Amino acid sequence: MEPIRYVDALNNKYGSMGFPPYQWSENDTAPWTPLAKPLADCTVALLVSGGISHCNAPPFDPDARNDHRVDAVDPGTPMDQYQIHDSYYDHGDADRDLNCLFPVDRLAELAAAGEIGAVADRHWSGFMGRTYNRSKVIGESAPAFVEDLQADGVDLLVAIPA
Amino acid sequence: MGLVARVVEQSCIPTVTVSTGRDITALVRPPRSLFVNFPMGNTFGRAGDSATQTKILRAALDFATTATEPGVLFDWPEPWDGPFEYFAGETSPEAIARQKKK
Repeated sequence: MEPIRYVDALNNKYGSMGFPPYQWSENDTAPWTPLAKPLADCTVALLVSGGISHCNAPPFDPDARNDHRVDAVDPGTPMDQYQIHDSYYDHGDADRDLNCLFPVDRLAELAAAGEIGAVADRHWSGFMGRTYNRSKVIGESAPAFVEDLQADGVDLLVAIPA
Repeated sequence: MGLVARVVEQSCIPTVTVSTGRDITALVRPPRSLFVNFPMGNTFGRAGDSATQTKILRAALDFATTATEPGVLFDWPEPWDGPFEYFAGETSPEAIARQKKK
């Protein structure tokens, strides 16, 4: 099956809602930092953007635009204590088993098996899409997030857009 | 999300992005991307299918060790087990009005 053309689909959706045309980021090059250690020595964190929040925290706005919120996720908290609020994808499966989008338990198993060094002290949920003010992401919210990763000694981040 | 991965990578922490939106990822060009042609929301497979979840997560982690070229996008070879479509969702007029203020 050909991949879904999300750019076209979302342009149509935004247009039908009366939003201004979305200026998609387009880059010809990418930054690069080689992985400095074997995986078995790496501390790994997950970041997901699918509107996942702890049940004791306010839910994400399922229709959010320009939402720079990012929540820490305790890897030790059972995943059934999390909720999903996001209107832009079908999270029926993820509601039943968060690991099909945010594989916290699977990563813990790989750590227990010695395939990675450790699970980071915190995973992360946020940076929901539809961000029109991207300079704020690049200049403020992402650098602040980097400080959290550095504080946790993260060697590798797995980023999961949804 | 790809933008965040780029900033993290620039800050000397390697990243691997696991995406279900191939065209968006190709535009934004995170440092390393694994594209999985599954429905958005099922990046690592179906609920309860821990074997597939582990397989794709392991592939993403391994890709972080084997990728050698900035901006590389690798296509996960296994297909979803049926057709699927873009999820249009529903946004209420009230929600649209609220978002227009942001």
